[in-house]
Amino acid sequence: MRKIIKFTTDYVGYVVKGGPKFYAWLGFLGIFVLFWMYGNYMQWTEGMIVTGLTDQVSWGLYLANFVFLVGVAAGAVTVVFPAYVYKHKALHEVAVLGEMLAIAAVVMCLLFVFNHMGRPDRVWHMLPYIGIFNWPNSMLTWDVLVLSVYLVLNVVGGFYFLYMKYTDQKLNKLFYMPIIYIAIVWALSIHTVTGFLLNTMPARPLWHTGMMPIRFIITAFAAGPSLIIIVFLTIRKNTKLWIKDEAINMLSQIIVWCLGIALFLTLSEVVTDLYHPTEHSAGLEYLMLGHNGLNRLVPWFWSSLAMMVVAFVMLLFPSVRKNHNKLVVACVLAFVGIWIEKGMGLLIPGSIPSPIGEFTEYYPTLLEIFNSIGNWAIGFIVLTVLLKGAIGILLGDIKYAKE
Amino acid sequence: MKKYNISAVLIVLILAVVSSASAQEKKVVTKKAAEPQKEVICFESRLGASEVTQREIKPGLPNVKCSPKTGAVLWWGDPYEGTVPMGKMPIKADYSKGVAVVKPRSAKMALLPICGTACHNGTYPPLPKNKRPRKLTMHTDIVPDSLNLQHGRGAIWCLDCHNTKKRNKFVDNFGDEIDFNQPQKLCGKCHGPIYRDWRDGIHGKRIGQWATTGKKRWFVCTECHNPHDVQQGKRNSGFAQLAPEPAPILPKGMKNADHERHHNTDESGQENKGSKQKGH
Amino acid sequence: MTDKKAPKNNPDIEQTSTCDTTEPSEKNKETESVSPSRRGFIKQMGGLSVASLMGTAALLTHSDDAEANTTWAEWFQGNYRLMTDEEKEQAIARLERRYTSEFGKQVTVDGTPAQEGVLFGYALNIQKCIGCRRCVKACVEENNQSRGDKQEIEWIRVLKMEKGEFTIDKMNDGYPGGYGIQVGGNAYSAAGVVLEGEHYYEPKKVPESDSFYFPIACMQCEKPPCVKVCPVRTTYREPDGIVVVDYNWCIGCRMCIGACPYWARRFNWGEPNLSSKDMNPKTHYLGNRPRMKGVVEKCTFCIQRTRKGRYPACVEVCPVGARKFGNLLDPDSEVRRVLARKRMFRLKADANTYPKFFYFID
Repeated sequence: MRKIIKFTTDYVGYVVKGGPKFYAWLGFLGIFVLFWMYGNYMQWTEGMIVTGLTDQVSWGLYLANFVFLVGVAAGAVTVVFPAYVYKHKALHEVAVLGEMLAIAAVVMCLLFVFNHMGRPDRVWHMLPYIGIFNWPNSMLTWDVLVLSVYLVLNVVGGFYFLYMKYTDQKLNKLFYMPIIYIAIVWALSIHTVTGFLLNTMPARPLWHTGMMPIRFIITAFAAGPSLIIIVFLTIRKNTKLWIKDEAINMLSQIIVWCLGIALFLTLSEVVTDLYHPTEHSAGLEYLMLGHNGLNRLVPWFWSSLAMMVVAFVMLLFPSVRKNHNKLVVACVLAFVGIWIEKGMGLLIPGSIPSPIGEFTEYYPTLLEIFNSIGNWAIGFIVLTVLLKGAIGILLGDIKYAKE
Repeated sequence: MKKYNISAVLIVLILAVVSSASAQEKKVVTKKAAEPQKEVICFESRLGASEVTQREIKPGLPNVKCSPKTGAVLWWGDPYEGTVPMGKMPIKADYSKGVAVVKPRSAKMALLPICGTACHNGTYPPLPKNKRPRKLTMHTDIVPDSLNLQHGRGAIWCLDCHNTKKRNKFVDNFGDEIDFNQPQKLCGKCHGPIYRDWRDGIHGKRIGQWATTGKKRWFVCTECHNPHDVQQGKRNSGFAQLAPEPAPILPKGMKNADHERHHNTDESGQENKGSKQKGH
Repeated sequence: MTDKKAPKNNPDIEQTSTCDTTEPSEKNKETESVSPSRRGFIKQMGGLSVASLMGTAALLTHSDDAEANTTWAEWFQGNYRLMTDEEKEQAIARLERRYTSEFGKQVTVDGTPAQEGVLFGYALNIQKCIGCRRCVKACVEENNQSRGDKQEIEWIRVLKMEKGEFTIDKMNDGYPGGYGIQVGGNAYSAAGVVLEGEHYYEPKKVPESDSFYFPIACMQCEKPPCVKVCPVRTTYREPDGIVVVDYNWCIGCRMCIGACPYWARRFNWGEPNLSSKDMNPKTHYLGNRPRMKGVVEKCTFCIQRTRKGRYPACVEVCPVGARKFGNLLDPDSEVRRVLARKRMFRLKADANTYPKFFYFID
C-alpha cells in the first residue's frame, strides 16, 4: 500500500513539473479550455440551441468528433498489436505509450458524448440498477459498454505496467497478458460497435451498409498511427526517450496499407451508390456534388479525398517514410483527411437529406467549435500528462526508492 | 371579367343558398371587419359555410381556436356547440350505434322560415310548369348562368333539388320534402357510393368521440361542398381552394427554400389572388 | 420493493409535509396511500442521503422550499413505465402544481392508462388532402409545442408532391443516347411525379392544380425503430399502440431521431417557448404536458384526448375529412372500414416498421 501511495505522489509530482516548453504547451491548450468553459456554460444554461444542430441535422460536430476519436482510441492497438503478437521489439518498448494515447482518446470521446447529450444531468438514467440500461437492444448501450471496458482495460494494463516498472518488479504474465490480448480484440470491438451504432439505422441509407465497421476500423488504423507517429517524433525531439526508427517504420507501413484499403473501400462505395443512383444515394450525391445549389459539404469531401490520396501516394515511397519531415506531412494529411471523412464526410451527410427528403445545410456555431476544440485541448492535456509520466517511468526518472 | 364572376360566385354564393340569407351573412362579415379585435369569427370547414364566434367556455378554455392567418377554426373546445340531433336517416345501418348531431343550417339562414310564405307562397311567383332549364331573373348571385348550370353539366335543374312548392325544403325522388339540415338525403339521391362512405364515417368530416358508439358532430355535405359551384378551379376537386396555413420556419442554416424547385407557377393560386379578400 | 425505489419515493413524502399548495385533499390521499411498512422501509433505506441532498437544495435556493423540493423530486423520479400507481400519482400531482403556478392557470395532468381492447389506428386519404396545413397548426394548438421564430416545433410535416407533365420537348433529353426518356423524379424535371417533396410550399391557394399533398407524422409503428435504439427505454410502446416518451427520463441522446424513418421526432434544443395564453391546460403525462429543454418529443395520437374518447386534434380539423381515426380492434370503427373498403398503403413499408398509420385512396 505504501508503494502505491508513493507511486501516486511520485507520479503526480513528476507530471506537474516541467520546463518552460511544457508549461507553454499546457498554457496554450489552457486558452482553449477557457473558451471551452464559456461554451459549456452557455450550452448548459441555454440548451443545445446554441449549436448549429437542427431537427433535420441532429447529429453534428460533436458526434463526428466522437466517432473519429473512437477510431483514434482503437488505432492505439497498432502499437500494442505488433508489440505483443508479433513481438516487435522497438514497439514493445513503447507499447505503453499507445495505451496512454488510447486513454486520452477515450476521455475525449466521453467529453464529446456529454456535449452531444441534451440532458447530461440525467446520464445516471443509463446506470444499471438505479436507471435502465437498455441492453442488449440499444446499440448505444453496447457502445457505452465497450468504451468503458476499453478505458478500464487500458488504465489497468497501462498503469499496472508502469507501476511494475516503477517498483522494478517483474510483470505477472498471467495477469498482464490476458489484459493485453483482450484489449487488442476490444479495440476492434469499440470501433465495430461505433460502426454498428450508425449502420443499424435503415432510416439513414448513407450509413446503412455493411461496409461501415470495416471502413471505420481501417480508417482508424490509418488515423491512429498517424497521430502516434507525430507524437513519437515529438517525443524524440523533446525528451530523452529515443523511439527507434523500426517502430516508426512499422507504423508508417501500417498507415500505408490501411490508407490504401480505405481509399479502395471509399471507391467501392461510390461506384456502388452512384453507378445507378437511387434515392438512397441522395446523401452521397449531396456530399460529392451538392444539391440544387446547396453544396456546403462538397469542398470537405474533395479536400478529404485529396488529402488521403496524397498521403497514400507519398507513403508509398520508402524514401518518404524514412524521411521524418516528409513523413510528418503525410501523417498530418492522413489524419486530417480521415477526420473530415468521418465527420463532414460521413456523419453529417447521413442526415442530409432527412428521411423524408428535406435538404438542410449544417453550420456548426462558434460555441460548438469552442467546445469541440476545447475537448481536444483537454484531451491533449491529458495525453501530455500521461505521456510525460509514462516516459518518466520508462526512462527511469521516477523510480521506487527504498528508504 | 370571367375571373371576376367566378370569384363573386365563390365568395358570395358560398355563403348561403338563399339570397336573402346571404344578405344577412354579409352583415355579419362586415361587423367582423369593423371590430376585429372585439369579436373573432372563424369559419369551420370551408369559407362561407358554418361560422363560429370565438368566446371562452371557461376561463382559459376557448370554444374554438382560430388561425391568425386564414381565420379557419383550428381547434374545438366544445365540438358539440350549437348542434342538434341529426334526425333519422333513411336506412338503419352501423352508423346508428353512436349519437349523431349536426349544426343546423336553418339557424344560419335566417330568412329560410319565411321564404316559403313571403316570396314563394305557393301561388306567387307562379309555379313553373315543368323542370326544364329557363333563364332565372332572381337568385343570379347564386346561379349566374342558369342555362349552363355546372352541377350535373346541364343534366339537372334547380327543381331536381329544391322543392317546387315549398322553397324552404329540398325534394326527394318521390317529390316529398327534405329538411335543409339534412342535405345528405338529397345529395345521396345521385352520389350513392359517397353517401354510403359518409354514413359509414369514411367520407367527410366528424368531430367529437372516436368510438363507434360515441357522440359525433357530423359535417353535412354542404358544409364542405358548394352545390351551386362544383367546378372549383382547374383541379376540380369538389372542394373550394383556400389559403394554406403558413409554411414551417426554415431550419437554422437555411436562408431560403430555393433548392426546392417547382415548375407549376401556381396558376390556380394566382387566379384567386385578386378575389381572395373581396367581400370579406 | 427494492432499495432503488426508496429514493424516488422519499422526496414526495418530504414534500407533502413541507409544502402546502392547491389540493390538500389530494395530498392527504397521497400520504395515506403509502403504507406504513413502506414508509418505514423508505426511512431505513437510502432515504437519508436523498433527504440531505434535498435539504441542501432547499438551503441553496432559500426562497422556495416547495419548488426546490419539486425540482429535486422530479430529478430523482424513476421511469414512468416502471412507477407504481402511487408514484405515478405523486409525479402527476407534482407536475400539476408546478404547471399551474408556472402558467398561472389550472392545469391538469392526466395519467389515464390504455383502455383494454383498444389499438389505435389512423388512416389518411391521400387523394383528399389539399395541403392546407391546418392539421399542423391544430396539432400545435393542442399539444403545447414550442412556438416562435427561435424554436418552432411542429409534429406534422406536409409535403407537396408535384406531378409535372410529359412533354414533347423533353423527348431528346434522354440518357444514354439522347433518345426520348422523360426523366422525372427530380426537382429539375418533374414528369409523372417528383420524389422530392416540397416542405416549404406557400402558394396563395391550395390545392394547386398540378400537385398532391402528403402529410407525415409519427406512424406509431408496431415495430418502432426508435424504441429499440433508446438506451434508457424512455420511449416505449403503450398497450394501446401509442409510442410515447417519458420526457422526464429522456437523456437527449437523439438516437431515436436518427432511427426514425419518418422524421417524426423533434428535439427541444432550447427551453420551449410557450405562453400562458397558448398553453392547453388539459394535458397527459405522456402527451402534451409542457416539455423541458433537451428532450425529444413526438406525436402521441393526442393521447390526452384519445384516451378520454375524443378524436385527435388533426382528425377534427381536417377540412376535407381526409383523416380517419379509431380502434383497429373494432371492425365497425372508421379506420377498420377504411382498411376494409379502400386501397391503402403504409409509408416506407420496406422499412418493416408496420405503421398503424395508413394512407388510402378512394
